[in-house]
Amino acid sequence: MLIKIPSIANIGLESVPVDVEVDVASLGFPGFTIVGLASKAVEEARERVKTAIVNSKLDFPPRKITVNLAPADLPKDGAAYDLPMALGVLLASGQLQLPKGFDLTKSFFYGELSLDGSLRPTKGILLLGLFAQKCAVNSTIFVPQISAPEASVVAGVKVIPIETLSRLVEYLLGQRQIEPLKAPLRRESFEEQVAEFDLAEIAGQEQAKRALIIAAAGGHNLLMWGPPGTGKTMLSRALPGILPPLSYNEALEVTRIYSVAGLLSPGQALVSSRPFRAPHHGISAAGMIGGGSNPLPGEVSLAHLGVLFLDEMPEFQRSLIESLRQPMEDGVVEIVRVAGHVKYPASFTLVAAINPCPCGYLGHPKRECKCSDRQIAKYRTRISGPILDRVDLFVNVSVVETEKLSITTGSPEQRTSSKDAKKQVINARQVQKRRFSKERRVIYTNSQMRNSDVKKYCQLTPEGENLLKLAADRFDFSARSYFRLIKVSRTIADLSASEQILPVHMAEALQYKQII
Amino acid sequence: MIDVDYQKVEDWQKLKELKNLLDLSNPPKKLYFQGIWNKGIFANCVAVVGSRKMTDYGARVIEKIIPQLIAQGQTVASGFMYGVDQYAHRVCVESGGKTIAVLGWGIKQKLAGEDLKLAKKIIESGGLVLSEWEDQQGTLWTFPLRNRIVAALCQEVIVVEAAENSGSLITARAAAKLKKTIWAVPGPITSKTSRGTNRLIAGGKAKMWLGENSIQLPLAQNSDPLLQILDAEALTADELARKLKLPVSGIGAELSILLLSGQIIEKGGKYYIADAN
Repeated sequence: MLIKIPSIANIGLESVPVDVEVDVASLGFPGFTIVGLASKAVEEARERVKTAIVNSKLDFPPRKITVNLAPADLPKDGAAYDLPMALGVLLASGQLQLPKGFDLTKSFFYGELSLDGSLRPTKGILLLGLFAQKCAVNSTIFVPQISAPEASVVAGVKVIPIETLSRLVEYLLGQRQIEPLKAPLRRESFEEQVAEFDLAEIAGQEQAKRALIIAAAGGHNLLMWGPPGTGKTMLSRALPGILPPLSYNEALEVTRIYSVAGLLSPGQALVSSRPFRAPHHGISAAGMIGGGSNPLPGEVSLAHLGVLFLDEMPEFQRSLIESLRQPMEDGVVEIVRVAGHVKYPASFTLVAAINPCPCGYLGHPKRECKCSDRQIAKYRTRISGPILDRVDLFVNVSVVETEKLSITTGSPEQRTSSKDAKKQVINARQVQKRRFSKERRVIYTNSQMRNSDVKKYCQLTPEGENLLKLAADRFDFSARSYFRLIKVSRTIADLSASEQILPVHMAEALQYKQII
Repeated sequence: MIDVDYQKVEDWQKLKELKNLLDLSNPPKKLYFQGIWNKGIFANCVAVVGSRKMTDYGARVIEKIIPQLIAQGQTVASGFMYGVDQYAHRVCVESGGKTIAVLGWGIKQKLAGEDLKLAKKIIESGGLVLSEWEDQQGTLWTFPLRNRIVAALCQEVIVVEAAENSGSLITARAAAKLKKTIWAVPGPITSKTSRGTNRLIAGGKAKMWLGENSIQLPLAQNSDPLLQILDAEALTADELARKLKLPVSGIGAELSILLLSGQIIEKGGKYYIADAN
């Protein structure tokens, strides 16, 4: 008998339908064959399916079994076809009858089997849910219990969490009820994001803290520059604590990426906190941009709508830093492999920390720099002009002398805490949300404005314009840095709840102009 | 006709702010205006005039000159003719300045399209539209006559671009007779529309405008607390904020302004008084 069970294949963030066709022939030598461009992981499903069926106290038919994954020319990867195959074998061998009124075309089965017949966490469940929602009204998906919450956020899809294969059989035979998973309560304010440090813990560096707030509020790329030990890393580690929570739509966008990468923790429904990724400088190009024969998202995509922090940026491979140009400009990254090409969103805020020279002590008031001029020049060329041109905020994190700190900075209570900073950031983001609500293109932050948007949303007063012209004259701005400055001023104006960009906002933005 | 009514300037000869016009050998008999009369507008007046065939270079020169003039508190006067004249009016209005447009035709003549829009903008921004005629058509002889009024109203004339026989040269000549300072913006010797201005310079009839004096920001007083602290020692923005117990955002903005006005300089994150030596 022949059985067709619908399932899907994920190519990047796109899902395509895949039919799992199972035939249990009445004639022929017993065996189990899988066809349809199956990868090694899919091939091995044979052993898992067979053992799982036997261990679930069901019969594995000693007959010729053929499984076809259609369409045949699309490469399939992953262990998610275990469940539809096992079910197909049970149905095709006549051990299991579907209840009356059960519409197999509106049901999707997806999940990896363990040898004991239980279902293991599987990646891409959210995408299955979204696909089912698009595909048919009132569709049902049968997915591993541990990963099921992922899909439960999708409206209009019945999510049946399955613990073991035998449970599924009992459910289909009507011997046991399984409650469909309910959507988790939508909370507008997600739980507090935990950061390693609070801003109030960091003594001094007021300007750098202010730059962090501006960066978080407007999604501006930030470059911190200064000798080691001045707090660059500490500052950036405090950044997650002031990032605004993800909105529901943003959370869904981020969760899709994490679902494909299989990075959601068991039982997690939505990614609730804004991503903060800090890859080590030894990272490969595929790790950064994304890659593999069936390309998975890289760090730039995992940092989507969040922060990508590059500590010691010049230590990264030069070509790797250059490869950030396209995602920084377009907010997406396109990965092309022999098997096809995949697009992942990658709209991140870059935060980078850079030493002034290889030894780190150039310009240090007390320690001597041991680098030659050539070494310094070479070090600086590691970060090219095009990358620097895409950075909105530069901040000098200079050495703070300890005795000065203790006398003048006062107690931590007087400093801005992460909580206050976060409030400011959230307010500024709300202003931006209102501003861009009528745009057809999705814009979340000021930094995502294009030049035409800048002209539309950033009206300058005549005095502000004069100041800008004067600054452009004095500091030799490129056209890009001109617009960049206006965008930063817009964010500063938003932070002080000012409708107009005043000269004072413009003047503050000038503090963060390019310094290298 | 602009939808703002025109008025006659009654007994203009008795008005103090217009006494410059009396220096002319043939002062106008009557004067009409549109807008809100404002004596102050005539006090510091510069004429920016030039060719009807403005090149990109001319446009860029105007965009550079006008904001500087406005920052110095000057009013821009010109002849409301398309090309350099109108662009000067436009840039002036857009940069928040006041401008006087002297028409080469009667004030009753109807304006249309861009001309009308510009005239409205001039009036809305507190400027004036002037003419010595009521319903005179614009013809060959009216434009040169208009030029003498432009020349008389201002203290200085800047000729932006002018071909060999440009009307703006008439303005320059009239201004020279009245002993006003005449500036000409040098242009490429290959450009026809710069021949007139280059001749003015070569013949010693005009000073060369090089646009060196860029926009000036008002200088801060020496009693400014920031300047006083920086006078004693060079500090970073953070240190200044801590000393003055003020948020670093405001300090940063003030520092930028002081930097742009040339009162302080920045090196390696520290700020120094510009003329410390």
